[in-house]
Amino acid sequence: MEKTLAKKDFPQWVKKLTSWKIYLPKKDAGGRWNYAEADGEDVLETRQATLPPKTILFPQNEILLEFSKSRKGNAETLEVKEVLPPAEPTVVFGVRPCEAKAAWLLDEVFASEPRDIYYWMRRENTTLVGLACTPPPSDNCFCTSVEGSPHAEEGSDILLTDLGDKYYVRSLTAKGEALINAAKGLFEEAKPEDRKKVKAVHTESEKKIQRELKGARAVSEKLKTMFDSPFWDEEAMSCLRCGICTYICPSCHCFDINDEIIDTTPLRGKRVRTWDTCQFPDFTMHSSGHNPRPDKASRLRQRLLHKFQYFVQVYDKFMCVGCGRCITMCPVGIDIIKVLEKVRDHGA
Amino acid sequence: MAKIDTLKEEARKLLQDGKVKYIIGYGAGSNGWPAAPLFIKQPEDVDKLIWDPTCIHNLVRFLVDEKRRKGKEKPPDKRPVGIFVKGCDSRAIVVLLQEKFIERGDVYILGISCEKAGVVDDAKLAKKLAGKKVITIEVDDENRFVLTTAGGKIEVPVEELLAERCLECRANFPVIYDVLSGEKTKRAVDKPFGSVEKIESLPVEERWAFWKEQIDKCIRCYACRSACPMCYCDECVVDSIQLAVSADTTADEKAGRIKWIQRSAAPSENMIYHLVRAIHLGGRCIDCGECERVCPLDIPLRLLNKKLEKEAKELFDYEVGFDPDLPALISSFRDDDPQDFIR
Repeated sequence: MEKTLAKKDFPQWVKKLTSWKIYLPKKDAGGRWNYAEADGEDVLETRQATLPPKTILFPQNEILLEFSKSRKGNAETLEVKEVLPPAEPTVVFGVRPCEAKAAWLLDEVFASEPRDIYYWMRRENTTLVGLACTPPPSDNCFCTSVEGSPHAEEGSDILLTDLGDKYYVRSLTAKGEALINAAKGLFEEAKPEDRKKVKAVHTESEKKIQRELKGARAVSEKLKTMFDSPFWDEEAMSCLRCGICTYICPSCHCFDINDEIIDTTPLRGKRVRTWDTCQFPDFTMHSSGHNPRPDKASRLRQRLLHKFQYFVQVYDKFMCVGCGRCITMCPVGIDIIKVLEKVRDHGA
Repeated sequence: MAKIDTLKEEARKLLQDGKVKYIIGYGAGSNGWPAAPLFIKQPEDVDKLIWDPTCIHNLVRFLVDEKRRKGKEKPPDKRPVGIFVKGCDSRAIVVLLQEKFIERGDVYILGISCEKAGVVDDAKLAKKLAGKKVITIEVDDENRFVLTTAGGKIEVPVEELLAERCLECRANFPVIYDVLSGEKTKRAVDKPFGSVEKIESLPVEERWAFWKEQIDKCIRCYACRSACPMCYCDECVVDSIQLAVSADTTADEKAGRIKWIQRSAAPSENMIYHLVRAIHLGGRCIDCGECERVCPLDIPLRLLNKKLEKEAKELFDYEVGFDPDLPALISSFRDDDPQDFIR
């Protein structure tokens, strides 16, 4: 389904979606962009939020179950209650195409059998409305180097393209159509000249990407030979071993599960899934005290191998969408493009 | 702006003569921020060293890594590590010496004075540039930052773009060094604790609301502790990974290990984490501002540490990081302590 929507009617569309919870990128008081709930003054901008919409599909803290112990006389009973995510229809507007593509990658991990019910429930209830990037939201964007594009459709239910005074609205799924049908009167059928214009805008947007990693597939092959290379020690010298690069990454998805006690008498607690990261020393710490990834070098290596070797071997896709957040936000300037270029050219 | 030509020559000689294991300095970044930490082992790489007001990182933090690395080397390479330090960074070395975490012979200190300027604040700079890309930043003779962009030069009085902590810095030259570049210029500071006093002046409810909002944003990436040269504990209170496990350790014992702070990035847990960190830095934080700079959510963490710095100054007349021979504040006792309860 291909339609157009006058830009001035966008707030109307949002208003008509009364059965959905709505998020879109908003600027906070400190000037940072975040995915926040719609507040009646909603406009779309091509911005990169600090945290990707992964936070909506795969929240940092997810309660899996609650437990409590009770005692009657000498008999102790343990009650366990499953907690599922709220089944509320949700729309995220203005998703960067790379972020929607990241959701498509997360689907491989969480939505393939056996399905992760917590992720899947949120994913099924969420409609992602992508907005093609014109121009790229960051100087460190490199989606076109990792088989993506500023107008990629993977993962999105609708892709919007800014045509000046209107949006070109391409619906890609039934969820997307439902969103358009909820405000039918606002949309017009797309005309052939709109289609022509969209093509031109998309082609133009690809040219505006400023960073490039040449030969990403060759990098994947090369990585297979570099596991034991001293290269990683050199590259990791300046790493702080913080979790920024992975926590702000749209496709990183590692987690930990802990029982958190709320009360001890009587015992009451919850089992919580939280984000975890391969960059923390305790991520691979065994209870024996042995740590198979004992230093920063092995942890930096893990991040790159997971994204550019292991995931490619299993799913034939990069687990990096080229949003450039890890490059922009690394406090010591570790630049994944530069590191991978060095890998590619290593020993040449 | 201090020139580092003499320091570069010194660095080259140190490496040529094998006097240092390697040198930690600043080189060109590729992510849009002009400077990044640089590690040099070969004399010919010395030319990659740079010095400008974006050399914001406190490299002393890497001495913590070096100590761990040396601990694993067989036999350990005991040569010192060369390190470039600004005034604030040098005070971090002083604290590490006071605490006997390192010895003076472990480091060869290449000091650079910030003179009348300091380092730029990334947020203020981004605002000033309004989307333009900066190529170089220098300080001219009239104490202005000169920002060179593709569209020409922009001149700004240093005060406009300086990091907040530089505006409150009282000694913007290294207090300990082997070689020094630049003048030992003291900056006139009206209000060394101005930023804290602003928060202190708010009613308690507003202060609570302010901190609650800030701390709620935390995603517990631990960049603040990772960037901090004083956060060198082998086991941090948030991790509890060092549970000794034997063949007889039961599942209950493993599950029952003390967890001071839960893993959920919930408001209460975030708050405890940040308060524990702040308290552990009382009398130790030298206000390099790295915790706040690296925070991806812009939590003003420096204010917590600054508050304790102020307490140390007011209660004990203690200034952090000036004298390596002075006992550390929290591990010392004085007969003329003003507090009655301790006698």
